[in-house]
Amino acid sequence: MPGAAVRLEHLTKTYPDGTRALKDISFSVMPGEFLIIIGLSGSGKSTLMRCINRLIEPTSGKIYIDDVDITTLPPDELRRMRRQIGMIFQQFNLIKRSSVLTNVLSGRLGYVPSSWALTNYWPREMREQGMAHLATVGIPEKASTRADQLSGGQQQRVGIARALMQDPKVILADEPVASLDPATSHSVLQYIEALNRRDGITVMCSLHFLSLARRYGTRLIALKAGEIVFEGLPADIDERRFKEVFGEEAIEVEIR
Amino acid sequence: MGQQTAPPIVRSPDIPQPVGRALRTFSWILLLVVVYVYGWQVTQINLRELVTKAPLVKPIILDLLKPDLIEHRPRGEEAQAEIWLDRTPPSPVIQQVPPWERLLFWRRPPAWQITLTPVQAKIGAAVTITGKGFTPSRPVDLVWLDQSGSTATIGKAETDASGRLQTTVKVPVVIGTDHHVVVRAILEGTTPGPSNALRLTASHMVETIFLALMGTTLAIIVAIPLSFLAAKNLMARSAVGSSVYYAVRTLFNITRSIEPLIWAIIFAVWVGIGPFAGVLALALHSVAALGKLYSEQIESIDPGPIEAITATGASMLQVVRYAVVPQIIPPFIAFTIYRWDINVRMSTVIGLVGGGGIGFLLIQYINLLQWRQAATAVWAITLVVAIMDYMSATVREQVV
Repeated sequence: MPGAAVRLEHLTKTYPDGTRALKDISFSVMPGEFLIIIGLSGSGKSTLMRCINRLIEPTSGKIYIDDVDITTLPPDELRRMRRQIGMIFQQFNLIKRSSVLTNVLSGRLGYVPSSWALTNYWPREMREQGMAHLATVGIPEKASTRADQLSGGQQQRVGIARALMQDPKVILADEPVASLDPATSHSVLQYIEALNRRDGITVMCSLHFLSLARRYGTRLIALKAGEIVFEGLPADIDERRFKEVFGEEAIEVEIR
Repeated sequence: MGQQTAPPIVRSPDIPQPVGRALRTFSWILLLVVVYVYGWQVTQINLRELVTKAPLVKPIILDLLKPDLIEHRPRGEEAQAEIWLDRTPPSPVIQQVPPWERLLFWRRPPAWQITLTPVQAKIGAAVTITGKGFTPSRPVDLVWLDQSGSTATIGKAETDASGRLQTTVKVPVVIGTDHHVVVRAILEGTTPGPSNALRLTASHMVETIFLALMGTTLAIIVAIPLSFLAAKNLMARSAVGSSVYYAVRTLFNITRSIEPLIWAIIFAVWVGIGPFAGVLALALHSVAALGKLYSEQIESIDPGPIEAITATGASMLQVVRYAVVPQIIPPFIAFTIYRWDINVRMSTVIGLVGGGGIGFLLIQYINLLQWRQAATAVWAITLVVAIMDYMSATVREQVV
């Protein structure tokens, strides 16, 4: 489907040890969508996310970002492509010993000369922008705190601010709330939802709670053993589909 | 019918028969006995000599317990002034004393002073010596110090009740142009001061500490870039990277397996006996040791931040700066201080083979059988190593 923000065609990933993590995945994400990917651990969610910005090289298939095939980009253009795609991680992946502001600013690295890194130089307007993004996620007062001094929810909000610093068109959120408690999960997802609604950023978010998926997603894809087993509206996933994805013994747990 | 078949003996292969087991145990014990008897003979162990010859070492041990630290010098007051024969005196060089040096009390000039009139004379001429600041009413020796540094007493005099001195001497028959007249008063009693051995030990100890510092610093400069090449998680992504990784690793292992003492001998031949040879020996060994520790630290870093920074579109340099460096700085500092600590210890030994530092002094005292002076060096080493040990432990605790 042309005009898609992200389009995958026959994407497969086979790891060197023979594990087939993704088997012929094809789907499109339209601009402004909040796409939820659900599935059990090992279903291929993380691999799928990392293929989209080529942190993991796909084995075969095509990935289009704004109708540009990115699977064959040379390193320089790959970097330019990556800076348009923000990424949020389950383990936050912050630089623990650096300040919150440095962590946020690091989201801008794709736009600045490499030599600036030597002295950790950031122009004033970028610092101000970083502070503004910290204000967006509600923790401007933590700017000079060391990242590992923050709570899990706060660290994930720094992760969101870092992604925002990239001026992303797409945000990939890989289990962004799996390390957080239910209340914090909602708060973090609401920030991501706000970016999606207000700024029109396309979001691809993997979750493993159906209740959260129903609450935040505009569309849902369910993965099982590297294959799509459901694609549709979150409200449409019924008991039978649910058991297909999560196994016969699974009981739906609500997070409120 | 009369034939009786013996019941089949069922042997469990798992359980060895008692006889076989005993035999095996016995042969193991026998082998061990043979090994240790042979070892006893090869290493020439002689317990009787250990006991009977103990008195031989007694004087050495006693000397080692009495390190040569303090020397009682005869108390005296000494002042000297320059005199020139058959040449005009050079224009006086005014020595500017830097202000900070005035704070160093041991640099203060002594109270006693003499002046000569005239300062330019000929052999046989009379020269008046005027002095002040001496202890009152004391006999003093008048000494001629010639250009070659040899001295001769040229007269005696006595200070007055206010510690002043006024006397006349004749210029003796000497060769050369630049001479000194020395006035020397010997007082009763002695003044304690640091012994020659102690002063030499102190200056060599400073040399040793700096030897360790320079060796470690050189090693850091080389080891840091090499350690990145020896980190599997960074290098093993491509075939070229892997081969560099194995090459650097092998280099580290070979270098590290050769003791700094051997390197010191090699470098003493190369650049000459002295601290520089020691610096090079320590540096080379430390490059390998630090490089290995650093690279293991790089290998154990959290890959999460690397992934996150790569995902922002950062370049390789930026990824290293923001995702790798912050994770490795604290352990690097800890390892480096630990290495410096080891190097101070090593540098005491490295002097034994010509690497300079305190070890060089120690081996000289030992060769001269000056055990009390050797003891000074040994105790200094013990003290400095203990202090370094404590300091490095404290700093490392704070960093990690």
